[in-house]
This record gives sequence, C-alpha cells and structure tokens, in this order.
Amino acid sequence: MEVTGEQLIPASQQTTWDALNDLEVLKACIPGCETIVPCADNEFDVVLTAKVGPVSAKFKGKLTLLDLNPPNAYTLSFEGQGGVAGFAKGGAQVQLSPEGEATRLNYAAKANVGGKLAQIGSRLIDGTARKLADQFFTAFKKHVSDSAA
Amino acid sequence: MYTFDYARPESLKDVATALRKQGEAKLLAGGQSLVQALRLRLAHPPALVDLQAIPELRGIAVANNVVSVGAMTRHAEVAASREIQRAIPALAKLAAGIGDRQVRNQGTIGGSLANADPGADYPAAVLGLGANIVTNKREIPADKFFLGLFETALKPGELIVRVDFPLPLRAGYAKFRNPASRFALVGVFVCDTTSGVRVAVTGAGPCVFRAKRMEKVLAKDFTPQAVEKIVLPAEGLNTDIHAQADYRAHLVTVMAQRAVEAAAKL
Repeated sequence: MEVTGEQLIPASQQTTWDALNDLEVLKACIPGCETIVPCADNEFDVVLTAKVGPVSAKFKGKLTLLDLNPPNAYTLSFEGQGGVAGFAKGGAQVQLSPEGEATRLNYAAKANVGGKLAQIGSRLIDGTARKLADQFFTAFKKHVSDSAA
Repeated sequence: MYTFDYARPESLKDVATALRKQGEAKLLAGGQSLVQALRLRLAHPPALVDLQAIPELRGIAVANNVVSVGAMTRHAEVAASREIQRAIPALAKLAAGIGDRQVRNQGTIGGSLANADPGADYPAAVLGLGANIVTNKREIPADKFFLGLFETALKPGELIVRVDFPLPLRAGYAKFRNPASRFALVGVFVCDTTSGVRVAVTGAGPCVFRAKRMEKVLAKDFTPQAVEKIVLPAEGLNTDIHAQADYRAHLVTVMAQRAVEAAAKL
C-alpha cells in the first residue's frame, strides 16, 4: 500500500529543494538516523534505529536519491539490513509545486520488510510506514520553517 | 550471548531509582509484547525493571461510583472479579476476551495501555468509559492519553499506577477478532452516561479513537438501528494482510450495532 500525504512548506521551491538535498537536513529529519555519509553521487551510507512499540531495530543500509528532477521532484529510497531483525526497504516519491510564497510538498511512501520483522509485524507495516513518513515530513517542515525564521 | 540487567523493585520509589540509574531501561509488566520482542532479538534494552513485586500496582476497588484497577492487575483477574462483573459487566467481558488463557493470566491492564498496540482491547474500554489514567506523576484523562501508533502521553520515567473507570449507565463491547492472534481487527466500545454517549473504536486506526457521529445519534436513540447507516470513511484506517481499510470501516458499523445491543440487554 502507498501512504500519501502533504505539507505546506513556508519557503520558496528552490529553498525547499535545496533542503531536501542537504545532508544535515536529512540527518536531522530521518526518524532515528544516527549517521549518514555520502558514498557515491546521490548515495549515502546510513545507520538508523527504528523504534515501533516494543521493537527497536538498528538498520545499516543505503539511502539513494533517484529520479532527480530539480527543483520539482525526486524519490528517496532506503534499503537496509537489520541483522537478526530482517531487512527493510522503503521509499518516498516527493513532488514540489509553488503555492504563492510557499511550496506544496506531496509525498507517496511505501515500505516493505522481511525476516523476523515481517513474521511478527506484518499487520503493522503500513501503519509504521505512515508514521515514519509523517514524522520525516513534519520534522522537515519544522526544520525549513525554523531556518527561514 | 546477549545480556541485560534485571531489577525487581518493591516500591514506586525504587522504580524511580532504578530508572534513574539506567535511563534506557524498559519497564516489564506482564511481558506479553516485550518478552516476545526480546526472544526474537527485536529489542535489546540494557536493563529490565520488573513491576510485579509492587503492592501499590495491584488490586481492584469499587467505591464512590469509580472502579479502580491497579496497573499490574491481570486480564484474568478483571474478568473474574465479581465487583467488576456487577459494576461494569462490559469491562469484565472485554477482559475475558483478550488474547488466549495464557495472555490473560500474564498480561496486565497497565502494560496493555502503555504499549498502546493498535489492535489491543483495553484502550477501547478506557476511552469508551472516559477513564482516568493515574500515573506516578499525574492523572491523564483517556481523551488525552492515546496519541498514535504505540504512542501515549506517558513521559520517560512515568508509569501507570492505576486506572479509574467512572460507572456508566450501561456499556457494551463487541469485537471482530483475528482468529489467530485474537487481536481486534475492529472492536467497538459503547457507553451511555448521564453526560452523553461515548463510542470508542480500536483495531481500525493507528490507535483507539472516538466515533463522534455515532455518539450523536446514539444520544438521541440508543438502539442498534440508530448506527446501522453510519459508515466511517475508510481513509486513514488500517490496511494489512488481514483486512483492508474499507472492510474495517464496514466492521466498525457492525461491531457498533452489536455493542449497543449488548449494552441494551444489561
């Protein structure tokens, strides 16, 4: 299932786009992100801890920015291994459009898990994807609003 | 091998001390979700603080039109309590239908509420009856307690001491359970009080929520027929391998009718 949502970012489309490509901004907004290090063009090594209810799993993996269409759209894609917990894959297609002085950000996110996580968490995957996407884009909006102020 | 510290304090004060010593420690209530996660290595807290030896967290009392249930009270104890069966039969019945016998003998009301699983039964009773959640720091009304998927108003270092349920005029609970896990695919708790009707829905969204449109019509006409035409929008409801959002929306209507029917019989 796809989880969709939107945010109105109080900044120009160019500023919003720059923030979406800023390593520090991504690090601050990705829920549970511990480290993010560039390893190739638009590719980053990422370590993050996902906490959902009683479960807490550390993932090591790759974050890739795909389908870049500056300053209008891109896809954030993550694929990682969580050791015994299993693997997780997820991504969000992001689209920007101007709305007066501000920028409308639309997103469609998806997630997939395998291994033990899928064994006990299959009923929670979509809910978790929604929650993580909401957290990321809400944090992103706050980050851009705060730096604009 | 993976190790952790274990503490079994005998008072709330000692719990606070244990938590101060190890900020990342997890509180262990009945362990019906946490121990599963530990076994599968899906959680690795450095320490567990076991709450089962604390007398203040136990017991059931009915006084001044309030049913108080200690946080460490097992589901089976609530289900078998004569006092609760008399005062709020729907609450005893709900507890009797949680999980399986093993879960009911071990799982606790405080653990269920603090975990806030989207498919758990107790949140429906707590929100439906408009209970107060009493912690070691404050009282939290049910309407302010459940914030999202596995998310509550509890702060780090805060734990539930007891839950105070005001007596309703009548109340009923109906759930459509997953046959394997016995979690609620959808559960609806309806409650008629002197200050209006409350309808709480669990299993359908990221966390328990109130169906206000149903409350309004039931306040005028407390019959199953009153809600049979009210279908919640599927948008935002849970979709998983067990049920799609639109099916859950449909189930909310059916369970609401059954819950009203159950309440009206009492």
